[in-house]
Parts: sequence; structure tokens; C-alpha cells
Amino acid sequence: MYDDYNDQYDSYADYGPVADTHTDEYDRDAYRQVPELVRKFLIYFRNCINEGVIFEVQTLYENSFPKLSEQFFDKQSWPDETDVAHIVDNDPVFLVLYKELYYRHIYARIPGGPTLEQRFGSFFNYCDLFNYILSAETPVPLELPDQWLWELIDEFVYQFQCFAQYRARLLKKTPEEIENLNAHNNIWSVLCILNVLHSLVDKSKIKSQLEVYASGGDPDSVAGSFGRHSLYKMLGYFSLVGLLRLHSLLGDYYQAIKVLENVELYKKSAYSHVPACQISTAYYVGFAYMMMRRYADAIRTFSSILLYIQRTKQLFTSRSYQNDQINKQTEQMYHLLAICLVLHPQCIDEVLQQALREKNYHEKMYKMQYGDLAEFEACFLYACPKFLSPCPPPPDAPNEDYVKEAIKHQTQVFMDEVAQQKMLPTIRSYLKLYTTLPLSKLATFMCSSTRPDGSWDLDKEVATLGIYLLCFKHKMKNIVWTKGSSGLDGKFQSGSELDFYIDHDMIHIADTKVAHRYGDFFIRKILKFEELNRKLHKIKI
Amino acid sequence: MAEAMRQTIVEMLKGIERYNPDNLSTLEKYVEIQSRENAYDLEANLAVLKLYQLNPQRFSQDITCQILLKALTNFPHTDFVLCKCLLTEKIIYRKEAKGRQICKILQLQMQEEPINQIMYLGDILEQCDFQHFWDRVLSMPELCNRIVGFQDSVRKFVCHVVGITFQTIDKGLLAQLLGGIDDSTLKHWVKKYGWKEESKNVIFIANQDENIKTKNITEKIDFENVAGLMAACL
Repeated sequence: MYDDYNDQYDSYADYGPVADTHTDEYDRDAYRQVPELVRKFLIYFRNCINEGVIFEVQTLYENSFPKLSEQFFDKQSWPDETDVAHIVDNDPVFLVLYKELYYRHIYARIPGGPTLEQRFGSFFNYCDLFNYILSAETPVPLELPDQWLWELIDEFVYQFQCFAQYRARLLKKTPEEIENLNAHNNIWSVLCILNVLHSLVDKSKIKSQLEVYASGGDPDSVAGSFGRHSLYKMLGYFSLVGLLRLHSLLGDYYQAIKVLENVELYKKSAYSHVPACQISTAYYVGFAYMMMRRYADAIRTFSSILLYIQRTKQLFTSRSYQNDQINKQTEQMYHLLAICLVLHPQCIDEVLQQALREKNYHEKMYKMQYGDLAEFEACFLYACPKFLSPCPPPPDAPNEDYVKEAIKHQTQVFMDEVAQQKMLPTIRSYLKLYTTLPLSKLATFMCSSTRPDGSWDLDKEVATLGIYLLCFKHKMKNIVWTKGSSGLDGKFQSGSELDFYIDHDMIHIADTKVAHRYGDFFIRKILKFEELNRKLHKIKI
Repeated sequence: MAEAMRQTIVEMLKGIERYNPDNLSTLEKYVEIQSRENAYDLEANLAVLKLYQLNPQRFSQDITCQILLKALTNFPHTDFVLCKCLLTEKIIYRKEAKGRQICKILQLQMQEEPINQIMYLGDILEQCDFQHFWDRVLSMPELCNRIVGFQDSVRKFVCHVVGITFQTIDKGLLAQLLGGIDDSTLKHWVKKYGWKEESKNVIFIANQDENIKTKNITEKIDFENVAGLMAACL
């Protein structure tokens, strides 16, 4: 399976000098002294990894590395491989891992982003790493914290995304740069990324493992020698989420949802302990559902993860690159939830309603309800993934920027959907006022608000209204997942709060009435008083 | 034929094999078979569009049209939207034309005929403007007639929407929504869906007040929910 991938990787050999504009800077860096503290850290870090002291590795990865980055390498790169190699006895595996962090730091922290050479370098480093893991005959003796493994896969897809955007921007590139890129079209190619992720999925047998796990069995029984190993198992699992993201970026929502078959999205499971992974999964799943017009599923997905984030938000308050990412994704999900609730009004948890109110989403929702297409588009553009065209522009394409094409297209598809539904909120607002309403009366309401001069023919308007009402029923009856291993499964349901039917010339309306909820309110007050009471007791005068 | 191919196709869509351009001609043949035999396989068709996305020089407008028309036959499912998402607004690619001359083709996939016509069909079908839809279909017979069973598939969708919207419907209106069908054909559809002619002009669809009724969501607090809290207050 990974033969192809090795072929592509062989081109490493013909990868000549790439970006020469930055070599000067490089030479200067090369003579940079490695600070003593960093030297000690690297030695210790390597030892901990080699000895498999996983908790210590986790601390070093999550705390020490970012701290040292801030202290010594803010806005500059960590020391090059050549300066580090002798410190760690040329340990090849450690150096590959080190370089993964080294490049990641460049992507995140160096103003202006990575150079072309660094983008290529990072790609080849990922090849080295995945080759090491995938082409071994027996599982490699390496164990890394799950947080790291998740960020490794996520970063791999992220860097592909960055490269594809960079690649599509031809406007400011010199002819040499473009020639160089055209000569290396296999680097960061989408097939290569798919190949790596699929290989990790296959090697770990994660799909069979999840299937057995979902049916209550022991995943180890089908995991094989590799899949039983935590490194392979978790890389396989995170690769599924990587594929979810990749498919979404390419507008393939069907595959996006399908790839997560047997992943239990709404339950805690043995695989769901990395919050960033859970959040990212929910974001892409919810988005795909929204695009498939499965609003009830999208709302359920966003609600459950946003509630989780609400409960645990103190975890994400410290400023770090990962937390910025999580907080941004949270904001995006509130936007998507707002869009879904406008298109498909339904009851959601009180806590989320409160959050939507506090974050001032009501104004946005109000505008959308009143058919403000610009508001829909603005919310969508803020909240959607950074869509990509899977192929680089051809060698002789005119020098333009192609980076926006994919986003434009997906936005267009979404806006077409919104335009098809543009009459529904108006109809809903009238129907909400009645339990029965004659067709002709509703037609009159709708005309007199737009054309008060009375220049319309009632029969014609009733016929037009009939079409809108059919459209209303069609758009509000969607597939909703109820059970089963695939998120694609489901039954047609009308999940929205308002429904109706037509009998002869009369519309019969069924609304959802929600009684006031007092329980939550009292519980919150009780807890508050408890807290106050405790504090009072502690005061000593 | 379609059934016989299905198993081969399933193998072609597994894992990374799905992206192998060598499979494209088999998958394209499978699309043609679906059109001829009134069969349908969304996943295979999406794989074709995906391969076009990855290999723009292999893009076939004819096959794409058939895939889109087939997606129209599977309303109320959102297959059409899924297909649309895999198209591209604008692609540029090189193609070897006759005389081995390489020419550059700028293709505005979505705006080019007849794809834009099918996009329009999809749009009005989504809006349930059935009368308009049938007029359009009549004006482009060569396109729609290639898909065996196209009209009846759309009629099934019409019946689905009618079935969830009406308790009783005017007979003339129903015939119109189904594409101006004659009386005996109408009888066939009425029978197929278990509807009844209530009187001369009215057809009884179903008793809807069983399915569509006002919901009251009231708060339910059971003892277990608050037991902990109450205990803590003691």
C-alpha cells in the first residue's frame, strides 16, 4: 500500500536547491550557539522518549517545549538539525521528532511564515517519520503522548492546507519559484496525504477495532500486532479525524461522515480523551451535516460539543497556540449553530441559548431571519473550513490567485440553499400566530406586506403560496440519525418546532410549546447561596 | 448488469483505491449502465466526480450530466447537493486536442450548457416548483430521456412531498404537480400510495393530525436529578 508513497518519497534525491533567498539567514543561524538550558532539555527529552517515560515526555512536550520556545526562540526558529545532532548522539528517531516540532514552531511563530525550502523540508521530515513507523516489520519501540500524536496528524493536514493555499497563489511568485513548484508537484500532493492517512488507518486496523469496540467486544482481539500498540492505534484513530478534515476541505461531505463509521460521536469512549480532537471532530461533522441539509443532526452535534466546552472552558483559557485554535473553532461553531437555528428553528439547551444571547448572536440571527443574505454569507465565510482545490494550477495557468475559488464555490452552494428557503421564515412567522389559517388569508397577508397597493390576483397568489408551502415541508423534513454505526444513516423526520398540513383550503398548524423551566434557575440559585454560605462561614472576625 | 458490477465497484472504492484514476473508465461505464437500467449508486458516482476533481484533464461533461440527472431522481435525498459540492466553479487544464496540439481549456463547469440547465432543474425542484420543472423537462427531452425512469422517479418525490403536506388535495392540482398526467395514470399513482378518491375532485391523502400535532415540552424533574443537591443542603 505504501509503495506509491515511497516512490514519491524517492524524489527527495532530485530535490535540488530550492529557495536560495534565505540561505544567508541560514548561515547565520548555523553558527548560533545552542543555549545551555536548551542543550540540557534536549538531552533529557531524548532520554525520556527512549526510555518510554510517557508522563515525563508529556510534560516536556506540553510545558517545557512551549516555555523554552517563548524564552529563547520567540519569532525565530529552534536550532537547526546540524547544531542539535551532536548533542543527542545523532539519534535518528529523536531528530525526526525534533524536526517535526522545529518546523511546527516555524509555521506557528515565524513572522511571514515558512519559506518554500522549509515547507519542503517539513514534508520530507513527515515522510521520514511515517516511513519509519509504517515500513517497520514489527511495531517500532516508540511511545508518545496522545496529545502529541493528535497534534502531529492535525499539523500534517494543516501544513498540507497551508501549502495548497500557498501553491494556488501565483500572483506574487517569480517565474523561478513557479518553475520550482511545478517541478515538485508531488510534494505535499493531496494523493500523498491521502496515502499516508489511509496507510495509518490500515496498519492499525482501527476500523475493525472500532467496530468491535462499538459492539462491546475487546478491540485488541482484531487489532493485530501493530494495532495493539498504542502508537499505531492512536495514530490510526487520529488519521480518521484527519481524513474527516481533509474530505471536508475538498467539499466531499459524504466521505467526511462515512470515514467516521463506528466512531461513537456522542458518547465518551476509550478514544475520546484528547479535547482538541473531540472539538475538531464535532466541528467538521456538524459542518458536513449542515451542508447536507441535516440540520437536526448538525444542531445536535454542535450542541453537545459546545455544552462540553462550556463545562470545561477553564481548560482552554491559558494562551497557547492550541487553545487559540480551540477558541476560534468554538466561535465558528456558535456561528454555525446560529445559522442552523435560523434555517431550522428548534429547541436547544437553555445553557446554549444563554450563551447565544450573551455573545450577541441574536442580532445576526434576527438579520438572517429577515432574509439578509449578506449576513448569511458573512457568517458562513467566518465559520466555514478553509476549502481547497485539490490540484495545483497547471504549469501554464495565467498568474492569478486561485486560492479563493474553492471557498467561492462552497459558499455558492450554501447560498443557493439559503435562497431556495428564503420564503420560509416569513411563512413561519405568520403560521406561528394561528392554529388554523385559510390559504387565501395567508396569501393576502404575504402580498399586502410586500405590495400594499393591492395589485395582485388572489388565485395566482394562492397557487404561488402552495409552492412555498410544499417547499417548506420538503426542506424541513430531513434525514436524522437515530441509531447505527454510520453517521450517514437515519430516517426522515420533521424536527423543526413548527409543522403544518393542508386540508382542503385550510392550513392546520402544530407548534411546539415550551413551558418555562424553573428547575435550572432554582438549582443555580441554590448553588450560589450554598457557595455564599460557605464563604460566610469561613470569614473570621 | 448493474447488480453484477456492484461488487467489482465496491472493491474499487475501498481505501486509497478510490483515488486510482485507472478505475475511472470502469466507473464511467457503471454510470452509463445506471442511466440505462434505472439503477443508482451514489457512492460510485461521487467517486467519479472526485476523480475528475483530482484529474481535471479527464473531466467528462457527458458523464457528469448523467450523474447530476441521476441525483435528481433520488430526491428528497440531498445527493444533488453532494454532487454539486464536488464540482468546480472554474477549472483550467490542458488537453491534447486533435493534431496533438496542446490547448488550454478554461472550463466554467457550473455555467456551461447543459450543466447549467441541470443546475437550474435542481434549483426549481428543490423549491418544489413542479409545474415549472415539468415545462423545463419537456423542453429538453434529449437530456432527460437518456435517464430511464427519470420522470417517474421525480413523480415519486412529488408524491413524497404531497404525502407529508396534504390531508386532502384537489385532484386537478395533483395531476398538475405530477406533470399534467392523464386520469388513468393519476389513478395508478393514487392507488400506489394508498390514497383515496374522496369525491369527484378531491383526493384523500392521509389523516395528518396523528403525525402533525402540537407538542408541549414541559419540564420534568425527577427525584434522582435533585437528590444529590437536596442531600447537600441538609
